[in-house]
Amino acid sequence: MRTFLAIAVLGGGVAHATVGSALRIADVAPDIPLIVVVLLALRRGPEFGCGAGFVAGLLQDAATGGLLGVQALTKAVVGFAIGVVGTRLRVSQPLVQVPGLVVLSVLEGLARYALLQLFHFPAPFGELMTYVILPQALYNGFLGAALVLALAWAETLKERTS
Amino acid sequence: MRLRALGLLGVIAGVCLLLLTLQMRGRAAGASEALAVLTTPVQTVLARINRATLGVWGTYRDWKNVRTENRRLRDEAQRLRVEALRVTETASENDRLRRLLALKQSLPLETMAGEIIAREWGGWVRSLTINRGRGDSVGRLTAVIAPDGLVGRIVDVRTGSSIVQVLTDPASTVGAHVVRTRTPGIVEGEPRGTLRFKYMARDGGNLQIGDMVVTSGLGGLFPGGIPIGRVRSIDDRGAALFSYAQLSPAVDFARIDEVLLLTGSGAARDVAASFKGDG
Repeated sequence: MRTFLAIAVLGGGVAHATVGSALRIADVAPDIPLIVVVLLALRRGPEFGCGAGFVAGLLQDAATGGLLGVQALTKAVVGFAIGVVGTRLRVSQPLVQVPGLVVLSVLEGLARYALLQLFHFPAPFGELMTYVILPQALYNGFLGAALVLALAWAETLKERTS
Repeated sequence: MRLRALGLLGVIAGVCLLLLTLQMRGRAAGASEALAVLTTPVQTVLARINRATLGVWGTYRDWKNVRTENRRLRDEAQRLRVEALRVTETASENDRLRRLLALKQSLPLETMAGEIIAREWGGWVRSLTINRGRGDSVGRLTAVIAPDGLVGRIVDVRTGSSIVQVLTDPASTVGAHVVRTRTPGIVEGEPRGTLRFKYMARDGGNLQIGDMVVTSGLGGLFPGGIPIGRVRSIDDRGAALFSYAQLSPAVDFARIDEVLLLTGSGAARDVAASFKGDG
């Protein structure tokens, strides 16, 4: 299980820049590490979510050549927050999963933008929101929901066979 | 538990902010290097897997696209072939009808167009059935012509159709003469589907291969000057009373689809001028 988690976190972080482009639709790629962190945080709690977010984000920063620590911090915060509130949410419902991941992705994007603003990030907010954050958030929402459903189905299948 | 998590978050936030600050001051190259050592090999392997997977997927998609394209092109080629055949057929029919119309307009006789609806091509009888009959006031022995020359005569009139005895029918005889020498004679059909020109030996001394034979206009059945055929070979029988010449028919009876019936009077007139280029 630990190996799987390590692969999920490390692989998710690095694979985003490599494999993520294959999932691109109309120049919008999903934030796979974010989805992985959210799923893990929901299952394993805030501590694990925070750590997974940090590692995945740091690897993503390193792999994409961005500022080290930006995504590490935002994803750690997201992992922590989801780990805390996850127990109170009925996350098995697709009606919660899709908008939940969309809102979460938007919040992560805003947090990243705010953090980068501290370091004089030049991109205008409106364009960033229209062309990057919102489309990616929508994609994350649907992909995340599909992954949750796939995991639930796999678990049901596993229970039946055992 | 919650406190531990909060503590971890605080530490992580601190590390991140420290990393960011150091980078902004240009002092975090070591951290980037260290992470790159970890991420680069993984990325390389993933990129290879990704490329291989995409390659296989791309090949499959290409194959599928090529198959679809191939099917579409095959269908289109088939459709275009049929279309081309139809166009060729229409153009050919148009050309035939145009020639027939030109002949009809140039003839100083009353004519009626008819379409061939059947052919009898056995050796015993050689005939064509046309879609003009009693209702069209077609008379027996009406001359039937095509833009290239004489076809034959109507031998049987029915309701809605008529039978044309073709020149090559063994029972067919037509009064004719050679255009160049004016040698008179009779064109007869032969069982093997050929034509022969029978003439008095004393009149045909200077007959030549290629000479055009046309209707003589004598007998009142066919107008004079309608092309029948060209001399292909001469059978000189020495002291015999008659000589024979094999003719190549002016009309390809197997290929004609439309004919003109000379329905009006005036069979005695010479219509050679309407068949330009012949003779």
